[in-house]
Amino acid sequence: MLPTREEASEVMQEVIVILWQKFSSVEDFRPWAFGVARIAALRHLERRKRDRHVFDDDLVNRLADLALAQEPLHLSEREALDGCLHKLPAAQRELVLTAYTKGTRMDDLATQRGQTPMALYKLLHRIRQALLDCVQRTLAQEEHA
Amino acid sequence: MNPDWHDLIQRHMAGLTTDDEAAALQELLKKDDNAARLYLRYTNLDLALESKASSMDATRELLTAPATIRSPRWLSWRPLTAAAAGIIFGMFCTSVVFGYVAQLAAVKKMPLLVFDAGLDDAKQPLKDGLPDHVGQWGVDSAKILAAEANVKPLLGSHMLRLEPIPREKNVKNHTSRAYQALDLRSQTMPLLGEDSEVEVTASFCSINSDTSSRYLIRAIALDEAPEAAMKGFWSKVESDGVVSQSQRFDTLPGKSGWHTFSMKLRLPPGSQTLVLIFGAVPPEGTSRPALVHYLDDVQVSLLTPQPLP
Repeated sequence: MLPTREEASEVMQEVIVILWQKFSSVEDFRPWAFGVARIAALRHLERRKRDRHVFDDDLVNRLADLALAQEPLHLSEREALDGCLHKLPAAQRELVLTAYTKGTRMDDLATQRGQTPMALYKLLHRIRQALLDCVQRTLAQEEHA
Repeated sequence: MNPDWHDLIQRHMAGLTTDDEAAALQELLKKDDNAARLYLRYTNLDLALESKASSMDATRELLTAPATIRSPRWLSWRPLTAAAAGIIFGMFCTSVVFGYVAQLAAVKKMPLLVFDAGLDDAKQPLKDGLPDHVGQWGVDSAKILAAEANVKPLLGSHMLRLEPIPREKNVKNHTSRAYQALDLRSQTMPLLGEDSEVEVTASFCSINSDTSSRYLIRAIALDEAPEAAMKGFWSKVESDGVVSQSQRFDTLPGKSGWHTFSMKLRLPPGSQTLVLIFGAVPPEGTSRPALVHYLDDVQVSLLTPQPLP
């Protein structure tokens, strides 16, 4: 796992180029693509190992294995997220999507809203946790329906 | 599950943990499967939200662009969508490498441009009945307004009020409806495949939630350009070149607030125009009066299955 979205995006572009170049010669795409992504991420992490936010290779590999196993669940969660976003109060939905819009800076957004950055982080924290709870409840209800 | 995990994971993802906390999280994720799964769920959520925000941002940009430059801006965006068709939509929507790769195996969802999707422009001329062209709302019996009677717009500052059509009124159809036509040629052609679907989502609200309500979403795909498709539209609906899907949705009595519904339509290759119909269906019989309903936040997306294994 990479510590920031910018780094993930940077590594992803590297991965995309490899996927694009080699795609036609690959028979079993999915595990291969995961493998390419894993190697690219590890290589990137190697370059900035001293950063406290970087997990070590063992954990990155463990999370990558788990991510592969959890993939069907994560797809279901992404589908359920739409409904949960709509259940949020409109102002919270607008806020969370603005916060995730490319180029949004948290300190600027906090200033616009007359909040401290920490207060904004806490609010986003609560919204994200509420979304995760809602997604979990939605999937549980679907399972029992 | 330990509630502190949520805080620790989120602060780590935001880069706000101390050295000790980062080390503690690493140990926790190595030892505890539940914590590791929670971490991945947050990264998956992060990825999905960023993807959603990017999609909405692109749509908002197109919708708010001045009319005179809308077309060139759209055209300038098209190579991007075409490129996205090659690999994946959302190259800049990624927060987690592995989540991103997982998305390669999913259905690609690309928002389509809906004119005034939030029904916020109260000054726009609403066409009586079907719209003549794209970029216009048509209504049978409706108007755009701000909050009223304790109903607030779901998205933006306004919403569409669907007026009740009394049973006794001598009209062919008593469902108050809103219509819009989308030009698929500019929006989906590079992406349309055999298994492409369009997903239509809309939110409805009743002025009185004590009784159940019935809503309608209908999508009709035609293989003609919008200008031609809208001429003699109803007579074409049953013809060979037209694919149509209609779905009714019921709310439960006592469930107040906005209700969001979605339906899907398989889009045949060659589809050029998509006509959307949203309606509030009056109650059966004459024992219950027809009520006022509201429509807001219309979204349309193209769903294209990833052709990879």
